[in-house]
Amino acid sequence: MAGTIIEGRDVADNRTLTPDFCVIGSGAAGGVCALKLAEAGFDILVLEEGINIRQEDGPAPGQKRKMLNEREVDMYKLLYQEGGTRLSKNGAIKIMQGRCLGGGTAVNWSACLPPRLETLDEWQKRGLPFTRQNLDPYLHEVVNYLPVVRNDKYNTSARRFMQGCARHDIPSENLPNNTNMCRECGSCGVGCPYDRKMSGFVKWLHDAVVLGANIYTDTKVDRLISSGDQIREIQAHFIDHKSHSTKRELVVKPTKGVVLAAGAIGTPAILMRSDLNLDGRVGKFTHIHPITMTIGKYPEKTLPAYGVPDNMWTPRFGDGPTGYLIETGSFFPVMSASSTLQHGTELHRIMGDYYATGAISYAHHTTGFDNKEKYGTVELDSNGDPQLDYKIPRANLEPMRESVVMMARIHLAAGATSVYVMRNPPLEVRSEADFDDIKEIDFARPQSATIFTVHVMGGCQMNKNNKRRCVNNDFTFGDMENLWVTDASIFPTALGANPQITIYSLALWASREICERYQRPFKLNHQGGDLPWPHY
Amino acid sequence: MAALLTPALNAAANPKNRSEVTQTKFDCLNTKTALILFAVAEAVLGEGFWKKAPRFLETVDDFLNYQRAEQRDRFLFALLIAETTFGLTIGGSFQSFSHLSIEDRQEILEKLRLSNIGLRRNIYAAFVNVSASTYYASDLTWPDLGYAGVSVDHPEILNQAPPIPWRTDDPRPIEK
Repeated sequence: MAGTIIEGRDVADNRTLTPDFCVIGSGAAGGVCALKLAEAGFDILVLEEGINIRQEDGPAPGQKRKMLNEREVDMYKLLYQEGGTRLSKNGAIKIMQGRCLGGGTAVNWSACLPPRLETLDEWQKRGLPFTRQNLDPYLHEVVNYLPVVRNDKYNTSARRFMQGCARHDIPSENLPNNTNMCRECGSCGVGCPYDRKMSGFVKWLHDAVVLGANIYTDTKVDRLISSGDQIREIQAHFIDHKSHSTKRELVVKPTKGVVLAAGAIGTPAILMRSDLNLDGRVGKFTHIHPITMTIGKYPEKTLPAYGVPDNMWTPRFGDGPTGYLIETGSFFPVMSASSTLQHGTELHRIMGDYYATGAISYAHHTTGFDNKEKYGTVELDSNGDPQLDYKIPRANLEPMRESVVMMARIHLAAGATSVYVMRNPPLEVRSEADFDDIKEIDFARPQSATIFTVHVMGGCQMNKNNKRRCVNNDFTFGDMENLWVTDASIFPTALGANPQITIYSLALWASREICERYQRPFKLNHQGGDLPWPHY
Repeated sequence: MAALLTPALNAAANPKNRSEVTQTKFDCLNTKTALILFAVAEAVLGEGFWKKAPRFLETVDDFLNYQRAEQRDRFLFALLIAETTFGLTIGGSFQSFSHLSIEDRQEILEKLRLSNIGLRRNIYAAFVNVSASTYYASDLTWPDLGYAGVSVDHPEILNQAPPIPWRTDDPRPIEK
């Protein structure tokens, strides 16, 4: 019998539930685990802090999700952590993380890259079991199930990027997406209203519910209650449409176990609130991919909001522990306005000049494999809410300047008359003679430049070093027998690639481990064919 | 610290009344912080911003619900600090922030932006980001940008770009 999605905001009583497994978090990892454990015949309950994204036709032709109206003012607050205003502790880095049914899969830009081989090699040195070869069946499962495809429809940012790269002999490549008959609205980042992006709620979670899984949305987990090596109980409460407690509580007493998949800030926070901090190891060594961004101004109108946002990149600069991936995107008024660090007439001039005729490129920076670097730490504030204390590592400062120079060079070669660099004070580059100004940007100094991240990893890492290990190679946490951690918090380093494919694949592996423990069937149903990454 | 000092600063604040601000019920702001925010937004966005973003205060107040409580408290505290101290400490005037001319308020913003003190730069970023993003969230500002709006309202913008055939020897499945 099919399960249901229950919206916690409407629950009028306190509840106690006893599923086989409780999956905490409905993002990339939680969705996979919910489906594979449901396939194995377990009674599954998924808890999601964010809202349900109801399947309800909207007024626009083909609109499958009425509530996804693409308007930034509505979507950021509903679909993102802290209404899209999450910042690092020092205020320097904007952290965009999904908080809704499907988590990050609902709001990412559909980019599908595999784990870097170099990163997998580094992880093996740290005792992790994953290799290109043994991940192969999981990667095939993900690629075929979603599916992951090559989309040849390029927006203006991508087209200009291709031109600029060609003039500098930089290889530009198609970046595969998990989309199906994409309508090119450009709104991946605020949720696809047409169900053309294969988000968790379209695929993994949908199929899990068909197999009987139940999902509670608007449900914030407070803590796990343990006894010895067992999690006995999960204590949670429901939140209303403005993210405040409804004063109604949910207690879950899973008969078999708990799968923690609340993301690399949420998972450590729940563990710390539960006094499961493993002598302070939980929350440490948290990684991000800091993003540098440029907008080129072109002679013609570019309509930068529309088109496939993220299907073009260059792998040229991606190698090494501080490599970076330059990708292209789409951009919208609110996103742009919140990045300018400008006021008065200059704010409106820059918005007017660079929006209508702009094309965007940005770089995700790998933050290194340095064992002596602390990277970030997830902490709890005075209210028990998580915040990430993170400072840009010294080793990344030069590559971040270099990526801005490289993106500016590509824009200028593609015909941009100027390039906007989100420095404070703002910088407009018109020729290579202006590059010296870029080389002086101090990215370590908060508010010297706008820095984003959309990828948070680590904080609850898998590692052979017992001074760092939180999660064992079978995905169990510490000495707990019935607690598995399956999200990006297990990464011991930054990944150096958009992480959704890696998270899906590792969550499949984790699901297999759980099924084997309980001698239940685990099957990969979508094998065969080629992977969509040439030379991988 | 913010939680301790906020009540005292709130009591001390006497922001300039504005005829444009008629809303009295808020989730997170109060009448005083709303008036200070109006003065900040006017400095960031210019006179008359209200005409193109008539729901400005309502929108910010709504967003504050979703913020982490400690961060929300810090933002409200920053508004009160700006009102009660910036006029003197940064602007060199005995007038409080909201009573200063728009030029003087913009000069204070400029000093915050270029300050060597990280906290002041953070306040600048918070004021600018909140004001600019809320303003440009309003449909009425979109024609200034050449932004045509969202596809669910304007289906005609969908599927415009013809595909560029990729490499003929690339065997990957192509999305239709």
